[in-house]
This record gives sequence, C-alpha cells and structure tokens, in this order.
Amino acid sequence: MKTDEIVTGMADESMVLETAMEAGHILLENGAEIFRVEETMDRICRHFGVKSDNFFVLSNGIFATGGDGKERTFAKVQHIPVRAARLDRVVAVNQLSREVEEKNLTIGEVQARLRQIQDMPGKSELMQILASGVGSGCFCYLFGGSLMDSAAAFAAGLILYVYVLRVSSPHLSKIVGNIGGGALVTLICILCYRLGFGEHLNHMIIGSIIPLVPGVPFTNGIRDIADGDYISGAVRLLDAILVFLCIAIGVGVMFTLYRRLTGGAML
Amino acid sequence: MNAAGEVAAAAVGTVAFSLIFGVPKKFYPYCGLIGGAGWLVYALLYDSGICTAAEATFLATVLVVILSRFFAVREKCPVTVFLISGIFPLVPGAGIYWTAYYLVTDQLALSLATGFDAVKAAVAIVLAIVIVFELPYRFFRLAKRRRP
Repeated sequence: MKTDEIVTGMADESMVLETAMEAGHILLENGAEIFRVEETMDRICRHFGVKSDNFFVLSNGIFATGGDGKERTFAKVQHIPVRAARLDRVVAVNQLSREVEEKNLTIGEVQARLRQIQDMPGKSELMQILASGVGSGCFCYLFGGSLMDSAAAFAAGLILYVYVLRVSSPHLSKIVGNIGGGALVTLICILCYRLGFGEHLNHMIIGSIIPLVPGVPFTNGIRDIADGDYISGAVRLLDAILVFLCIAIGVGVMFTLYRRLTGGAML
Repeated sequence: MNAAGEVAAAAVGTVAFSLIFGVPKKFYPYCGLIGGAGWLVYALLYDSGICTAAEATFLATVLVVILSRFFAVREKCPVTVFLISGIFPLVPGAGIYWTAYYLVTDQLALSLATGFDAVKAAVAIVLAIVIVFELPYRFFRLAKRRRP
C-alpha cells in the first residue's frame, strides 16, 4: 500500500514538471519573453504542489530540474529551434496559466488545453501573403511613396511572401534566405520601375523590404536585456542585427548586379 | 502634408503585420491604434522640425510602449502582442535601405551618415522600451476593467 502511494506521488511530480515544460516550450517557440516562460512554468509547478522546481531558460532551450529530499529527482533539457512567431499561442498559454489558479484546473485538463493550443490553426498562407502585400504598400506610402509606388510595393510584397513561405523558411538558412529576399524585392522593384510601374524606386524598395524586418527578435531581445536575461537578449538582438545586415546585403548585391549588366546606368 | 493618410497607412500596415505574427483578431483595433498613434507623434515632431529623427523616434516609442502596456493590462494579455507590431512603423527600415544604397553607389560618407542615423534610431527605441518598462505596474492598473 505504502509503495503504491509513493509511486503515484512520483508520477504526479514528473507529470507536473513535464506539463510545465510543455507550456514553456510553446511560449518560447512562439515569441514570448524569457521571464514570461520562467514565470508560467513556475506558476504551474507551484499550483500543483511541486516546490523543488528549477528552470533555466535560454532563447533556444529549456533546462528543468526538480527534486530534493522529499520530491523525486527530475531532469530534462529541451532544445527549441527558433521559428516564426505565433502570438496567438502565447496569448492562449498566458490565459491558461491564469485559469489554472482561478478555475483550479486538474493536470489532465491543463495537458489537454496545451495540446489544443499546439493544434490551433494559424492564418492561411493566402492571408499571410495578402497581409505582406498590404503592409508593404502601406509602409511605402508612409515613407513618402506615391499611390503608384505603393501599388508596386503591394505587388512586390505579395511575391516576397510567396518566396518566404515556399522557398526561404523551409529550405534556406536565415542568412541566405534574407539575402535572397532583399535581392528578390530589389529585382521586382527595378523591373516594375523600368516598365514604368511606379515612379520612385527607392520608396518602392523600402516599403517592400519591411516584411523581412525582424520585429519579433528585435523587440524581445531588448525586453530580455532589460529584464537581465543577457544571454538570451544578446542572442536575439544578434539574430535581429544579422537579418538587418542580410537584407542590406541582398539589396546591395542586386543593385551592383544591375549596374554591371546595364553598363553602370544609375537609377 | 496629408497626415491623415499617413496615419491611416501606419494603422493598416500595423494590422497587416500583426496578422502575420498571429495576433488574435480581437486585438487588431488596438494594434492599429497603437501603430497609427506612434506614427502621428513621430511625424508631428519630425516634420515640424522640433525634433531630430532619433528624438522623434524616442518620444513616439515611449507612447507606443505606454499604450501597449495599458492595453495589455486592460485585456489581461502579454504586452508583446501589441508592442511588436506597434513598433514596426518606427523601426528604421528605410535607414537600412539607404545605407546599402549609398554603399553600393560609392557614396561612403552618405552611407556612413545614414547608417549612423539608423543606429541612433534603434538606440532610441531601445531606451524608450527599457525606460517605460521601469514604470511601476500601478500606473497601468487604471486600465483594469471593473468586473460587473
């Protein structure tokens, strides 16, 4: 009888830690800040009575241990590759961690909810491509382009995101993918410009590179450094700076190529 | 010149990018409002010549972060949701382009100057975010919805 009790107790503790880790995984993967990941995991553990938990969260990994004299030893490391952010999942896990305390959910319910959150459908590719086009057009206008320029930027933004979804994210590294993106946008805009579609080449390109701008790692990197999570913050900022640089290289390479091919014609 | 058009473009552009980042639909109006307000402050301060680009970026980002924290408390959701897309119009995307453009057209001095301006704007954003997050939570509690 006694042994049985101990066994169930053990199972529960590691189950709680596993669940907390799953929640942390979803948060980290989808663009949450480091302190939110740590806080949520800790909250889940405390609620289910595990007090010996220890988490160390980096921008691409979670290290978790549990166990002291009374609670069973638990250790797990998870590598979490950087992916495109899905803030709806961050919102959902945040809501769940609030409800764990308010509604006194059981561990099974929490696990079921986490699985649901993992399966939440995202925006369709078509919507994302359209959004990229609209965003490009709007930002082109914002930076001083005419309506015609914005229309060209809209088209370039559409094609860019088809490239991002179909070529760059699944097949290319971040460096090559973003150089390619910058170059592709520049090529499309030069073509439009030469065909008389759009009047200010510069504004057209500026508008259409905006979907490549690494807003999530940039903002989160700053927040992490402000919270004192220097390693993760530095890695995220480095990620952002690298992407910025690659976009600039892509644009520069395409301009240079164009000038070579047209015998030094200025744009 | 046509401030209303620009603010509308900033708002719509911000919503477009929040869609790409997977922000839930019910938060789109907030994202648009934040993006538009940030650009309005930036354009007013910079175009009128009161501020340099970096100063205008700083003050606009301060507003963006305050609004983001306010709505985050009101809607009980992570501040990231509003902040990331709201800050987009202020990120020096144009600066990156000009730096690369002047670099490949052999105008090194201009390239350095624009590159430096882009870095200054980025630092202004960093400072604004860090400073506004130091404000104590109680300032934003006013935003909490009273329970019926």
